[in-house]
Amino acid sequence: MSILYDEGQQAIATESRRVLEARVSKDELLPLLEMTGRYHEGFWNTAKEQGWTALALPEQYGGLALGLVELGLIAHQAGRTLSGAPFLTSGFGCAKAIELYGSDEQKARWLPGLASGEIVGAVAFASGSDPLPAYPAIRFADGRISGRAAGVTGGLVADIAVVYAMGALGPLLVVAELSDVERSAIGSFDNSRCYAHLGFTDIPAQPLAIDGAAREAALHILALQAVITAHEQTGGAEAMMEIARDYALTRRAFGQVIGAFQSVKHRIAELYGLVELARANCIHAASREGAPDFIVAAASARLSATEAYDTAARDGIQIHGGIGVTWEAGLHLHMRRARSLAIEQGNGLFWEDILVDCLTGEAA
Amino acid sequence: MSNLEAYRARAAAWLESMVPAFGKAARKGLSEADDLALARRYQAAKFESGYAGINWPVEYGGQGLGHLEKVTFDSEEMKHGFPNAYFGISLGMPVPILMQFGEDKAFVKERVLKALRGEEIWCQLFSEPAGGSDLAGLRTKAEPDGNGWKINGQKVWTSWAQYSDYGVIVVRTDPNVPKHKGLTYFWVDMKAPGVTVRPIRLAGGDSHVNEVFFDDVKVDDDQRMSPVGGGFAVAMATLMIERYVATDSGGFGPHLDLFVELAKAILVNGKPAIADGRIRQQIARNYAMRNGLNSITARAMAMMQAGMVPGPEGSLNKLVSVRSRQKLSELAIDLRGSDGFAFDDHASQKEDWTSSWINAPTGRIAGGADEMLLNTIAEKILGLPQDHRPDKGVPFNQIPA
Repeated sequence: MSILYDEGQQAIATESRRVLEARVSKDELLPLLEMTGRYHEGFWNTAKEQGWTALALPEQYGGLALGLVELGLIAHQAGRTLSGAPFLTSGFGCAKAIELYGSDEQKARWLPGLASGEIVGAVAFASGSDPLPAYPAIRFADGRISGRAAGVTGGLVADIAVVYAMGALGPLLVVAELSDVERSAIGSFDNSRCYAHLGFTDIPAQPLAIDGAAREAALHILALQAVITAHEQTGGAEAMMEIARDYALTRRAFGQVIGAFQSVKHRIAELYGLVELARANCIHAASREGAPDFIVAAASARLSATEAYDTAARDGIQIHGGIGVTWEAGLHLHMRRARSLAIEQGNGLFWEDILVDCLTGEAA
Repeated sequence: MSNLEAYRARAAAWLESMVPAFGKAARKGLSEADDLALARRYQAAKFESGYAGINWPVEYGGQGLGHLEKVTFDSEEMKHGFPNAYFGISLGMPVPILMQFGEDKAFVKERVLKALRGEEIWCQLFSEPAGGSDLAGLRTKAEPDGNGWKINGQKVWTSWAQYSDYGVIVVRTDPNVPKHKGLTYFWVDMKAPGVTVRPIRLAGGDSHVNEVFFDDVKVDDDQRMSPVGGGFAVAMATLMIERYVATDSGGFGPHLDLFVELAKAILVNGKPAIADGRIRQQIARNYAMRNGLNSITARAMAMMQAGMVPGPEGSLNKLVSVRSRQKLSELAIDLRGSDGFAFDDHASQKEDWTSSWINAPTGRIAGGADEMLLNTIAEKILGLPQDHRPDKGVPFNQIPA
């Protein structure tokens, strides 16, 4: 697939940016930081109304049959404006698992709702600090799962989840409805992500049919999500860089704009370098879906996007001085999001190891 | 045991005895008003036991001891989490400068005693919306008014102004001369008509800094603490008072032991994170950095003890320690993975990595931004030239805005 965006793709970027800038504002996002279990409904309604939930799913099930490139472009814009809910990425991961590994019956049951956004999907692979454990903590037996999934993104709201569970013959992926699951809300530094610990007690769950190892399948889903998240991180980093640039052009000290001082100017120019490396890695990764080197491309995108967003959050605030650390200025929304996105879909240590495993064939 | 070590042992024992009444456990769950009331009682206890104004003159209620005893006590005190922050600025800068520059000795003595007992709090009104790093660019003005002056303008980032009884302030009295030369230094009554204090909420949720507005606030000429136009020198003297304060090579974040504990408890690739080379490297590098800063501080103390003047390398502490703490805190949150999303905005930034992370940017800006600390090192220590500054020598009212 080409790494040059075509006209249709450029239109997706322009239109999604326009609509998100009109509908999601800092003033609406700040109060959400102090409310557990709430998300920006305008954002999520927009995602459904614009068909973003359907974007990368098959036409047969109500999807638009586009792919990572297009969803990545949306995620980039969502990152710029600080998306108000995590369900686009969590639902995408959930739907892709069902699309790639589910039976026709399972697809028919879940994919139309996920495509329309009526069903909110989540992915629960992690076990504590381990994004993809060798031995999942959740057990599967007799069509039911039991155990605890820690820190599930969107877990407070999701209707269904794809869960990485331990069966009699080894790990497998199952899909479970969450209506009878015990959800404990996590009071978080980024509350609109709707994090929850999910407690499963004999919850009915259907295994997804996987040819080959479940871990590889789960890793593939994580990598698909990681590419989307990397776009979102890159969008956030780009926004932070621009906010810092704009401030450096207007704030004056010692008789001139602070952007005239090399210590400030160079800090912002360094951010440009990080953002462009992340963007290039994202574009490359989105174009490699289905290729043998997809995991390598996804890991590269993920690592460079995390570095870009973390650094942009740190340095963008620093350039603002005192005003940068106030609640009202809201730059901490990006700082918080940089950290939450750095953990979702596996932290930097995880993706470093995956990348080097793939490159060298030597496991960490 | 040297005299200083004996002093340290006595101070440590006294501090230990204060833990039940004023320590972390006693403060847990208190409202800020109750915590402040407790803090005033703690400060009074320090005064009664001879641990307030350690290096201040006896005639003002101090102990008449040296800087070393003061730093020694502070280092011991820092270990406990006592409620002393409300008085940090007050007793650190404004009150000492009042002792140095206040004209009315009886008034000064009364204020100093009340401040030492925790009955009164002073704030420092320097930074402004248009002048933080560029302090001399401030715009708040004082104009002659009868026999005194009338102040109009706005200050910002004023720590504990909401609880302050008095403040020291730098204002512009002459806009027709270059910016440093038109400033004058006063003390002000924070309860005077026309003073409005508005707390600023910070990213981590806390609100100890404020905006302070002055609307036709009248001050007498005997509240002036510098010659008219000589305020910048007194402002610099204020900032230089505590050149060697008790430092924390952890950047006022968690101790490295807490990171090691975390790394032992968490698995990476099925093995304890403590066995992971990347984690070991961060522990090693942070240790080496902190150890270097500790040695700089220890050397400075030894030099002062020997009657020598410590070198300028002490200025590295805040710059190096806080930005390192910021990145280490990020890594600690990463390490916890899906268990790391939780946040308690009442947690201590010295014990909790998430609280440390969210408050770290404030540490890199408050009391001198990293960029200004680097300028000071480059220009004052290494003799490198200043950046081009178009406002140099230009009358304040002709600097393009």
